[in-house]
Amino acid sequence: MLRKYLALMRLNWGLSLEYRAEGVIWLMTNLFSVIMLLVWLSISQAGPVNGFSAADFVAYYMVGLIVRQLTAAWSSWELSFAISEGRLSPQLLRPIHPIHHEITANWSEKIMRLTILLPIVAAVLALTPGVWLELTPAALFAFALSVVGAWAIYFLADYCVGILAFWTTQATAFSNILFGLKIVLGGILAPIQMFPPAIQPFLEWLPFKYMLAFSNEIALGQATGERLLFGLAVQWAWVLALWLLMQLLWRLGVRSYGAVGA
Amino acid sequence: MAHQIEVDRLSKHYQVHEKEPGLMGSLRAFFARKYRVVKAVEGVSFNIDAGEMVGFLGPNGAGKTTTLKVLSGLLYPTSGRVNVLGFIPHQRQNEYLKQFTLVMGQKQQLMWDLPPMETFLVNRAIYEVPKGDFAAILKELDDLLELGPLLKKQVRKLSLGERMKCELAAALLHRPKVLFLDEPTIGLDVTMQARIRDFIAEYNRRHGATVILTSHYMADVTALCERIIVIDRGRLLYDGNFRALIERVAPYKVLKLQFERPPDLAALAQFGTVARADGLTAVLHVPRAHATDMAARLLSQVEVDDINFEEPAVEDIIRQVFAGQVDGLLSETGMARAS
Repeated sequence: MLRKYLALMRLNWGLSLEYRAEGVIWLMTNLFSVIMLLVWLSISQAGPVNGFSAADFVAYYMVGLIVRQLTAAWSSWELSFAISEGRLSPQLLRPIHPIHHEITANWSEKIMRLTILLPIVAAVLALTPGVWLELTPAALFAFALSVVGAWAIYFLADYCVGILAFWTTQATAFSNILFGLKIVLGGILAPIQMFPPAIQPFLEWLPFKYMLAFSNEIALGQATGERLLFGLAVQWAWVLALWLLMQLLWRLGVRSYGAVGA
Repeated sequence: MAHQIEVDRLSKHYQVHEKEPGLMGSLRAFFARKYRVVKAVEGVSFNIDAGEMVGFLGPNGAGKTTTLKVLSGLLYPTSGRVNVLGFIPHQRQNEYLKQFTLVMGQKQQLMWDLPPMETFLVNRAIYEVPKGDFAAILKELDDLLELGPLLKKQVRKLSLGERMKCELAAALLHRPKVLFLDEPTIGLDVTMQARIRDFIAEYNRRHGATVILTSHYMADVTALCERIIVIDRGRLLYDGNFRALIERVAPYKVLKLQFERPPDLAALAQFGTVARADGLTAVLHVPRAHATDMAARLLSQVEVDDINFEEPAVEDIIRQVFAGQVDGLLSETGMARAS
């Protein structure tokens, strides 16, 4: 399996280089996070908002940029086009699940995007006075684990959306809904702490927070001890649930695959 | 298992939804979808043994490609039983996927923006071909197909023929035992068609691979396949020896005659059926068994400028079969196979 992954990574890395302009344009989508940061900075000028100082907002959104890049997924587009145009056929004929192709494509693209983004984020964090991040080995480990979890949740949810193309020609519409939910409920529009206290407990149980906000909270030292363990448990339970859902949908979907076109 | 490929009363039905053209049609389709069942394959049975090369013939939409897709495990059969190499294709077990290949002339597996070699290397890893074997296989394919300089060119910069050669190579790197070839020569010029054809024959000879081939070019099928399976509108029309079918449908040879003076058609008719007479030329259909005698008698009794024997055109014969002008083919199927 490792060798298969290395071969696929190599191939997709070649493609990422081939389509590097696309990667740069994708980075522009981060503009929304930057705008939200500016909005919260102007609000917090009068003083901390729900415990967030101006420097906290900078740290939150800068870490958020990295987490968002690391956890971005768009395989539903590839998959739904492949299904509706019949291009999935050659992939189905190979002795490896097509999802591995999408996973490696996803990873190679990330390497590309991070090499551009990382220096910018590091500079902003270093130049902003009063920024504080939880950098103990334990916190870094938990952060890494949560980022992998966040990636898995979003990737699998997005892949499930792509699988819907076996039945509908408009699966990508659903991927927009998923993306919208991530923006609003996942902590990009606003940190979870800014939401009305009445709905915050619900967000603890929904998957969206674990697509981004949870990792930010770990980095900012807001999720520690019991809160951290609870979060990781909920997050990985979602990973498992979505994995099982993906398997189920896939099995049903392939059954109704039409292999259209030649 | 008695045969390498067993297809028993296979049916595949698709549900397609229909939409009237225009905005109102779209609205109507949105609220009340009309579905129609298309019977792409209906009760088709056949067996194929290891090493056979079988031509799969039928007009467009006959169900050839659907059958190949079911055999490759891309489609679930609606009913019936399919078994290839002891596997049930639609379960798509890795052990099965590693033993066959499906090449579609109109589809490609090569990565469009990268050189073919990149796809080859990925296939080597995915099919777990040992490095030494890979080098040997690649060398053999290179010798047969002359891939050399193509391997490092971007796929989109290859010509159609060059791309097809690379597609075939990519499909054969794992040395499959069974080859499903769907229109492998479509759109290629005559020389390239012949190259691909020779390659397939050579591959079958060297490795004893089983080949099912569909093609609209009769030359492909005539050159490669002793046995053909004809289907139309999802149903099996004929399964058996190709020559036997030709002799059954066209039990005559074509005699082309050239005269110096307009011939007496009534006199010609005693030697065979006059298929065409046009001024100074005539075409006679002469029963195969008596073809030479008839020609000799004709030459002694009629003044002929030039005389020529030809085999009936395969295209015409197949067209007659497709058009349903040949009765009782299916009942002969078993018999024809035995001959």
